[in-house]
Amino acid sequence: MSEDLQHGQRKELSAGLIQYSVESAMPFGPIHPSLKEPEYFKLILEGERIVQVIPRIGYVHRGIERAAQERTWVKNIYLFERICGICSFAHSLGYTHAVEALTPFEVPKRAKYIRVIVAELERIHSHLLWLGLLGHWAGFDTLFMWIWKDREHILDLEEAITGNRVHKSYSTFGGVRMDLPDGIAAKLKTEMKYIEKRVDYYENLVGAEETLTVRTKGVGRISQETARRLSPVGPLLRCTGIARDVRVEDPYAAYDEIAPRVQTSNDGDIASLLTLRLNEIRESCWMVSEAAERLPTGPYKVSIPRAVPRGESMFHVEAPRGELFYFVKSGGGSAPERVKIRTSTMANLLTATEMLKGCTLADVPVVLTGMDPCFGCMDRISVLDVGQSKEWSVRGEELRTYGIEYYRKRLS
Amino acid sequence: MNPLQVVQLLLFPGLTFFVWLAFVFEWLERKTSARMQGRLGPVVTGPFGILQPVADFFKLASKEEIIPAQSDKFVLRWGPALYFAAPAIGIAFLPILGFQSILFDPLDLLFMLFILAFSTLMAAMLGYASAGRYSTIAVGRLVVQYTSYEVPLILSMVTPAVLARSLSIQGIAAAQGSMWYIVIVPVAFAVFIIASLAELEKPPFDIPSAKTEIVGGWMTEFSGNTLAYVKLTKSLSYVFLSALAVSLFLGGPGGPVISADQNLQALFYTVYFMVKLFAVGFLIFVIRTALARVRIDQATRLFWTFITPLSLAQLAVAIFVGFR
Amino acid sequence: MKEVSRRRVGKALGEMFRTALEKPVTEEYPFGDKVVTERFRGRLDIDPVKCTGCSICEIVCPAEVITMVPVGKKLIGTREVEIKRPSFELFTCISCGQCVDDCKFGALTLTHTFELAVFKKESTLMKKGLNIGK
Repeated sequence: MSEDLQHGQRKELSAGLIQYSVESAMPFGPIHPSLKEPEYFKLILEGERIVQVIPRIGYVHRGIERAAQERTWVKNIYLFERICGICSFAHSLGYTHAVEALTPFEVPKRAKYIRVIVAELERIHSHLLWLGLLGHWAGFDTLFMWIWKDREHILDLEEAITGNRVHKSYSTFGGVRMDLPDGIAAKLKTEMKYIEKRVDYYENLVGAEETLTVRTKGVGRISQETARRLSPVGPLLRCTGIARDVRVEDPYAAYDEIAPRVQTSNDGDIASLLTLRLNEIRESCWMVSEAAERLPTGPYKVSIPRAVPRGESMFHVEAPRGELFYFVKSGGGSAPERVKIRTSTMANLLTATEMLKGCTLADVPVVLTGMDPCFGCMDRISVLDVGQSKEWSVRGEELRTYGIEYYRKRLS
Repeated sequence: MNPLQVVQLLLFPGLTFFVWLAFVFEWLERKTSARMQGRLGPVVTGPFGILQPVADFFKLASKEEIIPAQSDKFVLRWGPALYFAAPAIGIAFLPILGFQSILFDPLDLLFMLFILAFSTLMAAMLGYASAGRYSTIAVGRLVVQYTSYEVPLILSMVTPAVLARSLSIQGIAAAQGSMWYIVIVPVAFAVFIIASLAELEKPPFDIPSAKTEIVGGWMTEFSGNTLAYVKLTKSLSYVFLSALAVSLFLGGPGGPVISADQNLQALFYTVYFMVKLFAVGFLIFVIRTALARVRIDQATRLFWTFITPLSLAQLAVAIFVGFR
Repeated sequence: MKEVSRRRVGKALGEMFRTALEKPVTEEYPFGDKVVTERFRGRLDIDPVKCTGCSICEIVCPAEVITMVPVGKKLIGTREVEIKRPSFELFTCISCGQCVDDCKFGALTLTHTFELAVFKKESTLMKKGLNIGK
C-alpha cells in the first residue's frame, strides 16, 4: 500500500476495499492448525473485531488441469477423483458425465441408481465430517469423536460397495465398474436407520448445549441480499433461505426419479448451517433407502469405445459443498484438449470473507469451517494489482524469472 | 527445620509424591476422556498406558530447544523454574498425613492466593517473553480471563475461612470435623471448581491456550525442556487446586480412623486424602469432557454477571451462619 | 424442524457415561486382526500362466507402474516376434484396479494385503510376471 498510515488508521478506497496500517493486519495461515489446507487470509482487525478479510490463494495449486491434458481419458478418472478426498465421487461423477455427454451412449438405469446411492453416501460422510470438525474447532472434542465414530459406519459401507474408503474409483464411462455386492440392500437400510437415530441425538445436542450454541448462534450472519450479490453455492446459499439445488433444477443420474426435497434454513448463521446439514443428512438417508429398494435390474455398465468424439460439453453436479462444474473439450484424440473445473469453494470463498466481518478472532476457525472449505479443490493463480487496477494471469515461466529477479534484488 | 521435615518436603508427602500424582492425574484425565469418547486412550507404555505421561516428559526433555531470536532469553531461562516453584511450594502447606502440614503459618490461606496470582503472572511473563504474535494475543486473553475469575476464586476460598474462623489451611481442615463445608456452602464449592477450570485453562475456559485458534497460546514458542516443565507444572497446579478443594471443602484428610497407632493413623489419613483428591479430579475431568469452549467475552460476561454475585451471596450466607 | 429441548449446559453427560461403559470403537490392529471387506483393493498380483503379453495393462495404468520387458522371441510363421511380459513397480501403484478390469485373460488380481511398507524401494519391484507360463 502506498502511503504509511498510523497504527489503527484506515482509509476507505473504492469498491469496499480499505487501506490499512501494517500493525492492524493479522495473518491467518497459510499454516495454521485450524486450516486443513493452506490458504492465506489477511485479517484486518480493530481491537478484536475483524473489519476486512483479504484472501490470497494459490498455496496448494497442483496444476491438475494441465496434467489432465497429458493423460488419456480413462487415466483422467483417477486423476480427477484425487482432487479432493471428501468429495471425490462428485468429481468422478462430474467428469464421467461430461465425457458421456460427448458420446452417443446412454447409461443404463441400474447404473444411475447405483451412482445415486454412492453419491448420497458420500454426502452423508462429508456432512458428518464437517459436523465433527465444527465441534473440534469450537473446542468440543467429545462431539468430534462421537460423530467420527458414526462416520465409520458409512466408510465401511463404502468399502463394502466400492473397495476403498476415500478414493472410490467406482464410476467409469458408461456406468459403474462393478455391480453392488449381494445383500447390500438390507445392510444399507439398517445403517441408514442407525444414522437417522444418531442424527436425532446430535440435533438435540447441538441445539441445546449452551457452550456450543453461544459459539454458533448469530455468528457469521449473512442476509439474503448479500447471498444474492456474492452468489455462494450449496449449503451456504441454502442456509439463507434460498432454495437452489442442482439435483432438483437440472437432474442427472437417477435424481429425476428420486428427487430430494431441498432443505433450507433461515438465519444465515453457523447455527442454521448446522441444522441445515443435519437435515440434509436425513434426506440423504431417505434417498439411499429409496434407491436401494427401487433398484432396477439390468446391466451396470455399457461399453464405450476409448476414443471420445470431438466436441465440448459442460456438466454440473451437486457435490456435498455445492455446485461442482466441469467443462470438457475433446479434439477427437486420446487425451482431452481442455478440462476446466470450478469447485464450490471457489464460489463460497468471498461469501465466507463477508461472513467474517464483524466477528472476533475466536470465531475465525468456526466461520471458515462453516463454509466447509476445500482449498485443495479450488486453487489457481491470478494477480491483482489494486494500485494500478489491472489484473492479469501469469505464465509459469514469467513467474519463475520474476521470482529469481525479485530475490536477487532483495538479497543484494 | 529438622531433617524429618526436609525428607517429608522432598519425598513424601512433598515434591516427589506430588510430581507422581501429577503424572497419575494426567494419565487418568486422558484415559477417562478417551473412554467417554469411545476411544482407548494411552495403552502401550506400561500396563494400561500408565507410564505415558512420564514417557512424554522424557521425550520432550530430550528434544532440541528452539529459542526465538527476539525473545527475552533471561526470562525464558529462569521463568519456567519460578513457574514450577509456585505450586510446588504451595503443596507443602496442605495437610495430608494428618491435620498437620509440613510447613505451617497462621495466615497461609493468603499465601495460597499469592501463589495462584504468581502462577498467572509467570505465565504472562513467559508468554510476553516469547515475542511471537500468537503468544501476545494469548497473554492478552490470559490476563482478561484472570481478572474475571480471580474475584470469585478468592471469595470462594474465603468462605470456608469465615466458617472456620481461621486463615490457615490446616486450621480450616481441622475445623470441619465430620460436617464438611461442602454440605454447608455447596455453592462456594461449585464456584471454586468453575474458577479452577478457568485457572487451569481447561474447557470451557481454555481460551488462552486454545489449540485450534492461536496454535498453542502462551506456550506456542516453547519446546524441549521448557515445554516439558511447563506441562508438568500445569499438571501440578491441577493436583494443587484439587488438593486445595479437598482441604477447604471436603474436610482435608479427615475420616473415620480405626487405630490408635500414630503411623497407621497417618496411613488412614493419606488414603482418605487420596480418595477425595481423585474424586475432585474426576469431577473436573467429566466437566471438561462435556463442554465446548466459550469465547473470551462470553466467559467474562459469565463470570462477572453470574458467578461473582453468586459467590458474594454465598459469602453473606456463610457469615450469617458463622455468627449464629 | 423438530422442537429442541430447552437449553442447558452439559447435555452430553448422559451419552458420555454410556459410552464410557461400552467397548471402545478403536480397532485393535496391530495388536489384533484387521478385517477388510471382500472388495478391498490391496496389493497387485499376477498369475503368469494366464498372461499373454498383450500390453493392455501397460497402456491403461494411470500411475505408469507397468513396463513391458522383452523376455524372448518366438516364431509366428516365418516372422520373429518379441515376447514381452510385464514388470511392476509396485511402489507407485495406487491399487485402482484398472488393469484388473481391462485384462481380458484374468491374469491380474488385487489381493487383500495392505501392509506394504518396505525399507528398500527396490524390493517393491515385482518380476513375477516375467516367468513365462510358470
